[in-house]
Amino acid sequence: MIGESRMRIRVDGEICQGHTLCAMSAPDLFVLSDEDGHAQAIHEEVPAGQEDRAREAVRSCPEQAILVLSDEPAVGAVR
Amino acid sequence: MSVDERTTPGTAAASKAERRIELDRYSSDLRLSFVDWAQKLHAGPRIAWNDTHGGYWFVNGNQEVFDVARRADVLSNDAVRYGGIGIPAMDPAARGGVIGGFLEMDPPRQRYHRNALNAYLSPAAVARWQPVMDEITRAAIDDHIESGSIDFVEDLANVVPAVLTMGLLGLPLEDWVIYNEPSHAGVYTPIDSPDWPRVQQLGIEMGMRTLEHIQRARTHPRPGLLQAVVDADLGDGDRADDLEVIGVVGLLIGGGFDTTTALTAHALEWLGEHPDQRERLVREWETLRDSATEEFLRFYTPAQGDGRTVTQDVEIDGAHLSAGDRLWISWAMANRDETVFEDANEIRLDRTGNRHSSFGLGIHRCIGSNVARATFKTMLKAVLDRMPDFVCDPTGTVHYETTQVINGMRFLPATFTPGQRQGPGVEETIAGLQRVIDSQGLAEPVTVRTGRGTPG
Repeated sequence: MIGESRMRIRVDGEICQGHTLCAMSAPDLFVLSDEDGHAQAIHEEVPAGQEDRAREAVRSCPEQAILVLSDEPAVGAVR
Repeated sequence: MSVDERTTPGTAAASKAERRIELDRYSSDLRLSFVDWAQKLHAGPRIAWNDTHGGYWFVNGNQEVFDVARRADVLSNDAVRYGGIGIPAMDPAARGGVIGGFLEMDPPRQRYHRNALNAYLSPAAVARWQPVMDEITRAAIDDHIESGSIDFVEDLANVVPAVLTMGLLGLPLEDWVIYNEPSHAGVYTPIDSPDWPRVQQLGIEMGMRTLEHIQRARTHPRPGLLQAVVDADLGDGDRADDLEVIGVVGLLIGGGFDTTTALTAHALEWLGEHPDQRERLVREWETLRDSATEEFLRFYTPAQGDGRTVTQDVEIDGAHLSAGDRLWISWAMANRDETVFEDANEIRLDRTGNRHSSFGLGIHRCIGSNVARATFKTMLKAVLDRMPDFVCDPTGTVHYETTQVINGMRFLPATFTPGQRQGPGVEETIAGLQRVIDSQGLAEPVTVRTGRGTPG
């Protein structure tokens, strides 16, 4: 696959309760606070090739706290 | 909220009448016919009215549990005003003024308590304890490895969480034996059992022991969760009194002991019954470890549900809830909802999208979830490594009679090909670990780095 990912995600800090499942599904995309385990997306833009992991994190969040800001197919992507 | 959505006494009564079911959650029937009950309830009503135990809403659908559990704005856990999270409600006076810690409080006090403890229980904090978990687990297995037989509940799954919880609390590890029996028996013994007075007596002794530790902590600070509870600033410099601390410590012990025991025992029982899946888990441990753990959590839901009290009239998913109504949020039922989980009544070790609610949802999410997962994985891996051919004995296996509090097990005897001891047993190991914990200051809170990427 070539081309840049257009998927952008964000963790809603008001909704996240620190279940940590996102970091389990996609350890390269989320960082957990040392203090309370609440999650943040490391970068809003999901690196190319990591979209499926990001979607799995979104699906498995018990609080549904991960917002998908955009999920357009990458321009020029070859599957 | 629009006028149309407002619940009037007429619609509230009609809502209950339309949604009436007959289910005794203290009966063995619910445990034994759980799948039938789940399918029946999920067909509707998914927020059902149950006349038993003083009358309460039984929230059972996944979406409904999700919608209800996160409405702390219209629900209360408060024990003093509403009787807490039990169904039926329990007057704190009937339990010696001790309530179930911050699980039976509302914000802001609940939040102050949790904030004081997070840095002891976060993933980063728990990771520091991994060598201790490994060592207790090794020792528990070593006490039985040469004999070729073990009771997975009594000899392993009761031991490791209990010793570890003592360590986290900052209590002497050897005290686990004082806390162990009442913590489990207090959950599974029906209050009309002839054994109840003995269990109650053990519970009192446990409370007295905790009180001694609290009083000592007030004059001789010692790192750990108990000290953190004693020192917690509950707003404007307010501190918890002895009874409040006993309640919180009781919650941490109740949450730390029997739940992880229940999960581990059930997972081992299932793996014993499915040797092909057990071999697969051994073979693919690195890829299946996390998904299998979440799947066992979903399927067995150690803490089956929690009660709440409705604080204002509200309509949720078509049910008209009235202020003062009691309500049971069934995490267990939500976890078997086919609309969210394909083949919900099957265990799939590689399940994806597993947004189970076994640690609760919303502001009361199990504060020990990271400890539970790590402890479970440690015990499971050790058994798979050292007793990979274990066979459980169904004739000696005893499940809790009901799932009134915890979906637990009392006994799970097993045999296996004997192996070699790797070190000393539990008693000797505990003494050594105590020195390690004390010298390394393991029970201190995690040193907070700027984990969120931005300072402060």
